Amino acid sequence: MRISCPHCGERALDEFSYLGDASVTRPDPAAADAADAFYTYAYERRNIAGPTQELWYHQAGCHAWLVVTRDTRTHEISDVKAAQDVALERVNSTTGAA
Amino acid sequence: MSNPATEAALNRSGLTISRRDDVAMTHVALRRGRRADLDARVSATLGLTLPDTSRTVEAAGQMAAWAGPEQWLVIGPQEAGTDPSAALAKALNGVASVVDVSDSRVIFRVRGASAADVLSLSMGIDLHDKAFKPGDVAITHASHLGVMVWRHADGQGYDFACARTYAVDFGHWLEDACSKRGVFA
Repeated sequence: MRISCPHCGERALDEFSYLGDASVTRPDPAAADAADAFYTYAYERRNIAGPTQELWYHQAGCHAWLVVTRDTRTHEISDVKAAQDVALERVNSTTGAA
Repeated sequence: MSNPATEAALNRSGLTISRRDDVAMTHVALRRGRRADLDARVSATLGLTLPDTSRTVEAAGQMAAWAGPEQWLVIGPQEAGTDPSAALAKALNGVASVVDVSDSRVIFRVRGASAADVLSLSMGIDLHDKAFKPGDVAITHASHLGVMVWRHADGQGYDFACARTYAVDFGHWLEDACSKRGVFA
């Protein structure tokens, strides 16, 4: 399996390390339902057969965190984005900023 | 080099390996939202435009290599009685985080037309002419050691910056790889 880092280009798997699901967001600890939200966040993870969004770290390369869209059945990678860009998009979409 | 056979093989390979111990290395990381200010100050101080992609740029004896998103490695001559990193830190105060990494890294230089053939033996990146052009830089590993590598402007060699702790190990690997010219590559 090879991953196309948006900064470095295509690199072998041994340059990357895996963290986990990139689709979940850490709940607000100050919210009234924080305990339930954290339980869901920590334990109720999906085990998808198909395209998933995963966090990978380009540890032997540019040290950037990446959001990789990978099909768990075929290992086909359809998209790689810098996690920073994904996070900024998420913030902007919730705050309504451009 | 302790082994005469390795030395003889190296001589036959047409490749030369050297260490650049006369340079100062400075790591520059952009502070959020200060890119325009950083560009202006780097241009005024070094006469360079920092690259946004994995490239090196050179001007007046100074080189800036892309070192990851919004980070660069600035390399210049280390002259007695001067402190290039401190001078750069002063010039870029407030717009970038500046760290003197001269003592944490070592630069090895490999020269010779067949350098890519032997280096390919233990490197994962594609060193083909079309894939890794003169002036290109890559952060990767070579012989399992983390390195930053860039190709010289004339296309005839490479510089490797590796952690000083691994310099002896890395140097041995370079000698070994280059002395295999004609055997495996």
